[in-house]
Amino acid sequence: MSEVDDSMSEVEEQEELQRKKEENGSGLDYILSLESVPSKLPPRLEELKTRVFCKSDAPVHTDTIQYSGAYAALRVDNSLRLDNFCQNFKIELIRLTDDDMEFDMIGIDPALANAFRRILISEVPTMAIERVYIANNTSVIQDEVLSHRLGLIPIRADPRLFEYPDTTGTDKNEKNTIVFKLHVRCEVGQPRITVKTRELEWLPHGSELHSEDNNRDASSKPRTFTSFNCSQDSLPEFPKSPIGIKDSDIIIAKLGPGQEIELEAHAVKGIGKTHAKWSPVATAWYRMLPEVVLLEEVKDELAEELKNKCPVGVFDIEDIGKGKRRATVARPRACTLCRECIRGGKEWEDRVSLRRVKDHFIFTIESTGALPPEELFTEAVKILEDKCERVIMELS
Amino acid sequence: MNAPDRYERFVVPEGTKKVTYVRDTKIISAACLTVEREDHTIGNIVRMQLHRDPNVLFAGYKLPHPLQYKILIRIHTTSQSSPMQAYNQAINDLDRELDHLKNAFEAEMAKFSRDY
Repeated sequence: MSEVDDSMSEVEEQEELQRKKEENGSGLDYILSLESVPSKLPPRLEELKTRVFCKSDAPVHTDTIQYSGAYAALRVDNSLRLDNFCQNFKIELIRLTDDDMEFDMIGIDPALANAFRRILISEVPTMAIERVYIANNTSVIQDEVLSHRLGLIPIRADPRLFEYPDTTGTDKNEKNTIVFKLHVRCEVGQPRITVKTRELEWLPHGSELHSEDNNRDASSKPRTFTSFNCSQDSLPEFPKSPIGIKDSDIIIAKLGPGQEIELEAHAVKGIGKTHAKWSPVATAWYRMLPEVVLLEEVKDELAEELKNKCPVGVFDIEDIGKGKRRATVARPRACTLCRECIRGGKEWEDRVSLRRVKDHFIFTIESTGALPPEELFTEAVKILEDKCERVIMELS
Repeated sequence: MNAPDRYERFVVPEGTKKVTYVRDTKIISAACLTVEREDHTIGNIVRMQLHRDPNVLFAGYKLPHPLQYKILIRIHTTSQSSPMQAYNQAINDLDRELDHLKNAFEAEMAKFSRDY
């Protein structure tokens, strides 16, 4: 009786197999659909692929595995297509103020994160003082040094409203130049004065200094260093807030009694690649998300020791009843990877594992003030898109 | 002074093409692309994108010299594809990814300003 039963079930099984085979088409697909054949990477390989491990002497497994066939032997497809990218990609804004922002970009490659950083630092345009016409400078600070200091002052003006100057720099009009005037004097008998950026005065009508031009006829208006057709503050595209200096209390120079500075400074549009004064960010940087894992339970005195080891307070202690205590990872994001917690012998390295998530970037942008940080980032993305389009268009 | 002009770093000189394509003489479906006035910013992401393509056997870039403002991208593909096709595909994908990224960022910004 039992034999008959067995043979029946065998026949059923075979039928089942046959049905499955037909459902799945070819034999290979069938094998892949079996539960015992892994469709994902084994956990250890997945860890090596997605985490950087920070050991006491050096980080290991730092490379990102991009090659599409990297796990071909395991029958795992490592290629990444647009729809996967769109599914996995996420942005989370953490902090946003007038001058700086912090956000998380999840699901991108370090190459892309680094491209944004590079573009923010050196390819997003701003306005900066490029030419200084010094009429009088009797202060102790030399003309060159003074000009250099002026160049580094952040200017509050939207660079998107201006054009790049032509490479010869002869045509200076209201579309590509902002003119500032500085005229300060310390009277004899007065105490020394400090010249700050608030003394710089914006001249919307253009330059007021007369250029030396011997050939002009006497009837025409005296030539200046710019040729503005109209006043900048009358142009409709310029916003309500007047162009000016971002911070009014930056020290430019100091004047003793009887000393005087009279000059005119012309600001033009440029990018940080030419000179750092055109860089729109104080700095832009990213770091990977830290991950702290306790490999074994750390209890009582050891938990206390672990908590005290960490200078930024990553660990916390929780009571688990009966007077027992246990260490927990409370604030992994604060971890600076100082590796103080795994110092003190092999046993600590076995207890705590410090890792970083390879595709999770904490991006921070500190703006100098020409544009708010969130606009800087969208500008950077636009610049990268433009680059892609240009690189492809010029080929065909 | 013999220092090169500062704008030399990003202005493509007249008479030069932004991108030139040279086929490899020894290996079929391999080529070297020269992109003028670009650096690691573009080179590294194009390399990254090419590596994701299953038809690409080799992809790499180099900046030959810090004062030569160009990058060389070398691509070797299988016979199903061609270096040109892989390159175009990579840049198009990259462009669309960036578009998605920008929209995601703007959506998050809008959400942030609404919430706080």
